[in-house]
Amino acid sequence: MNLRDLTLRARALFTPGSVERDLHDELSFHIECETMKLIDQGLSPEDARARARVKFGSTAAAADECRDERGTAFIDNTIGDLQYALRTFRRAPLATLTIVVTVAIGLGLVAVLFTVLNVLLFRTDSVPDITEIYAVEQPQQANGGPSQFTRQRFEALRSDTNVFTEAYAAVNELDLRVDGRMMAVNLVSASFFRVVRVNPIMGRALSAADDDRAGGNPVLVLSAKGWQRQFNRDPKVIGRTVLVTGAPYEIVGVMPEGFRGLEVSAPDFWAPLTRVADFVPDVRGSEDKVGVEIIGRLKPGLPMKSARAQLAAWDSNQSATVDRTMSIALVPRRGTVPQPLEAIAVFTPLFLAFGLILLIGCANVANLLLARGVARQREIGIRLSIGASRRRIVRQLLTESGLLALAAAGGGYLVSRLALEGAVYWAMRTMPVDLGDVSFSVPAADWRVALFLVLAAIAATALFALLPALHATRIEPARTLRGALFKDARPGRARNILIGVQVFASALLLICSAIFLRSAIASSQFNPGFRTADTLSIDAIKDGKRDAMLQALGNEPTVIAVAGARPPLLARPPRAFGDAGAGKIALSYKHVSPRYFDVLGIPIVRGRAFTIAERDGHPVAVVSESVARTLWPSGDGVGKTLRIEPDLTARRGFAFLTINPKAGAGDAPLTPRTVTVIGVAKDVAGFRITDVREAGVFLPTTVDAPQTFLVARIRGNADLARQTLLERLTRIDPNMGKIITLRTVARLETFMLTIAFWVSVILGGLALLLTVSGLFSVLSYLVEQRTKEIGVRLALGASSQKVTQLMLAQTIWPVLFGLLAGAGLAASLATFMLATEAGAMISEIVHVTDPVAYLSSLLVIVVACLFAAWIPASRAAQVDPMNTLRQE
Amino acid sequence: MASSPPDLLPGTLDLLILRTLQNDALHGWAISERIQHVSEDVLQVNQGSLYPALHRLEHKSWIEAEWKVSELGRRAKYYRLTTTGRKQLTIETHEWDRMQHAVSRVMKLA
Repeated sequence: MNLRDLTLRARALFTPGSVERDLHDELSFHIECETMKLIDQGLSPEDARARARVKFGSTAAAADECRDERGTAFIDNTIGDLQYALRTFRRAPLATLTIVVTVAIGLGLVAVLFTVLNVLLFRTDSVPDITEIYAVEQPQQANGGPSQFTRQRFEALRSDTNVFTEAYAAVNELDLRVDGRMMAVNLVSASFFRVVRVNPIMGRALSAADDDRAGGNPVLVLSAKGWQRQFNRDPKVIGRTVLVTGAPYEIVGVMPEGFRGLEVSAPDFWAPLTRVADFVPDVRGSEDKVGVEIIGRLKPGLPMKSARAQLAAWDSNQSATVDRTMSIALVPRRGTVPQPLEAIAVFTPLFLAFGLILLIGCANVANLLLARGVARQREIGIRLSIGASRRRIVRQLLTESGLLALAAAGGGYLVSRLALEGAVYWAMRTMPVDLGDVSFSVPAADWRVALFLVLAAIAATALFALLPALHATRIEPARTLRGALFKDARPGRARNILIGVQVFASALLLICSAIFLRSAIASSQFNPGFRTADTLSIDAIKDGKRDAMLQALGNEPTVIAVAGARPPLLARPPRAFGDAGAGKIALSYKHVSPRYFDVLGIPIVRGRAFTIAERDGHPVAVVSESVARTLWPSGDGVGKTLRIEPDLTARRGFAFLTINPKAGAGDAPLTPRTVTVIGVAKDVAGFRITDVREAGVFLPTTVDAPQTFLVARIRGNADLARQTLLERLTRIDPNMGKIITLRTVARLETFMLTIAFWVSVILGGLALLLTVSGLFSVLSYLVEQRTKEIGVRLALGASSQKVTQLMLAQTIWPVLFGLLAGAGLAASLATFMLATEAGAMISEIVHVTDPVAYLSSLLVIVVACLFAAWIPASRAAQVDPMNTLRQE
Repeated sequence: MASSPPDLLPGTLDLLILRTLQNDALHGWAISERIQHVSEDVLQVNQGSLYPALHRLEHKSWIEAEWKVSELGRRAKYYRLTTTGRKQLTIETHEWDRMQHAVSRVMKLA
């Protein structure tokens, strides 16, 4: 296209009249000349004019061809198509609105998932040239072992090697209380900010002086997240001080939004690594032995091979005395989710469930359009017969569905934002507070979400709106003009399949929601086997402050009794082998203080609990009923002896949720011992959704023993008591762990099931609503189509009941097929799930084969479908035979 | 049109138009008259296809147009060869000669 064309097109676009006038002038000038010539030859002016016209042929056709040659036709046609489409929409506003709203709802739901996935998958690091950044690792470290590097070795690496332009050392993900709130901090050497090459939006980054190894400065740099969470984006935050385990720290900078360092999620702030003892008091005096991560920016252009070789050479010099077999590795380092495939695997079932709604919606649209297609056939027939090319009509239909798609994409965006905002708001409102500061933010939509919406909308409308329309162009103009349209009186296979698919999808979703609802109800009535209403779990009491803490607890009027447990109640007890003479069996054990059973309300069914005199190491034990039954099938076990050995090979099992991931990690392994059973405790179910299971063997300990965590029975409101205790105890140890009411943990399970219920019931409800409306419109259309036939039947003596039955019978088969397929798929998915380890675990809580859930949801669908079919079917029975016969 | 010649070979109309415009700027009617006159009424340009051809050539930038007042005192669109059009004319003329030569050889010798 050249400049002249461009101006011509612009003129065609903005002043379509002037281009047209030029064309008209040019052609009529030609005819004028021809006329003059003929007059010169002796013809009368009228004859001459007529002859000239005839000789030229159709000026309109010539003008049309000229426009085509110029390419200006494209613009004219598009404008025409748009106007035509808008006129079509205006003529059938209800149908248009139905299509747009239906597709928008379906798209919006899918877009919700895509928005979340988008944040996970396509998130990029805000660090420039991220590909240059590598972590220096040693094999043990890669396997999750502690870092072998120290600050000293980091400094040595920096000064001795020439691999990195800049490198930093870090201790990541420390959790501690700052001004009474749990915050995550990353300790970094000052070079961190030079490695990432990102500048603060306010204040300054950490300087070399802040991280000086002689002392450094108590300063910190906030992340955008920390700034928001703790200071609500206060613009005057620079210079304020916060208390970090008692020491005042000054805020010197704020990093930009989206900057996370090289972590998957940003910490709340960064502080100088040299001040590590302020954050981890245990290491004071031995700061140089703290393990650090080393991450650096590789010299540009330096081949990986030589970088590795140089590091390996340096490493063998350094650690000659330590371990010569350790090799050093360079691992690319980024702050994004490492396994996008896993995220996709998690999201696929959700996408399918949400996609079902879109599918049902689109099936409705297709049904609607198939019905309307008859009306369009006449219109298209007329256009074809007055000379429109098929290409032209298809282009027009494409424009129409494109417009619908854009409107649906816009609507879908609104739906997705509303749904996300609503869901986050609801989750924040109902989330139990004592599990820590969990904060969700509404994920932002970006251009990828917009692109996804538009593409999905185009695909949806093209598939479901364009195909019926295309079908409509395959007609014979002559027949349609005569009024002989395709009389599609039978329900049609396509329509039956669509109804079947809709019922199938609603059945699947509603069965899921019924299962979740029933499980949630069962879960809210589930008894974990110990008191949850008035008990608290108190975490990680520092050994140095244990006495003061116990004192404070003793002085607290709301606290009735305190007991100890090691590992804590809310953690998985370690595995061991027990042998009572008849071979080893696997069991779990835990150390508890004498009042443990009493505080938690676990009954001792035989024998007795520990006494105060029985402390760590005493050769006595209490066993659970089930362990007693396994070891001594004949007797009750009290008075018998039992040998216990630790099971060091046991690996972690599957858990939905781990409340105390680090609990018990530092405990010394059990020394093998023989114990006398003094009592049998009732079996405790535990919390099914966490990895908390009660032990089978209890060994004695005391509340003041090291590493022992506490449980307390309180009086009055548990939440209030928790708040008071938190205030009292953080005054003693500002950096203490969580206090959780057991009721919260018990409710967590119900909470998650309730979320699942609401998600599936909203989806299922929508699906059913769409199915019912689709069924209704299809049947109404069919009744209208068959009015004549029904009239004849009635006139011949059919009863109105018979007619109603006839209409209802048409929908029975697709509905039945959908129900069976939906229930069948749900049941086979459940069977498949039960066969896996995780699935079997889940099925303890989610009763995937609950027959009541299946039957009730199927019943709901049958009733809804009958209701939807009944109205048009009974309308058919009211057809006046004389009236319809007269119409012929 | 009974007196019109057998269909022109495809592309021939373009060549004729370019050749006609070699020396003067002409409007559409004058072009068709000139072709008819020079060919001694053997070639009569189908006027329904003349204008699309003119617009096509203008679109290809081989000719350019200008609105001028004609001898009849009315606004008329005059077409003129552009530099690229002139080059194209040379190429097409050469092609035409080759074709003509080939066809006449076949007619004589085959």
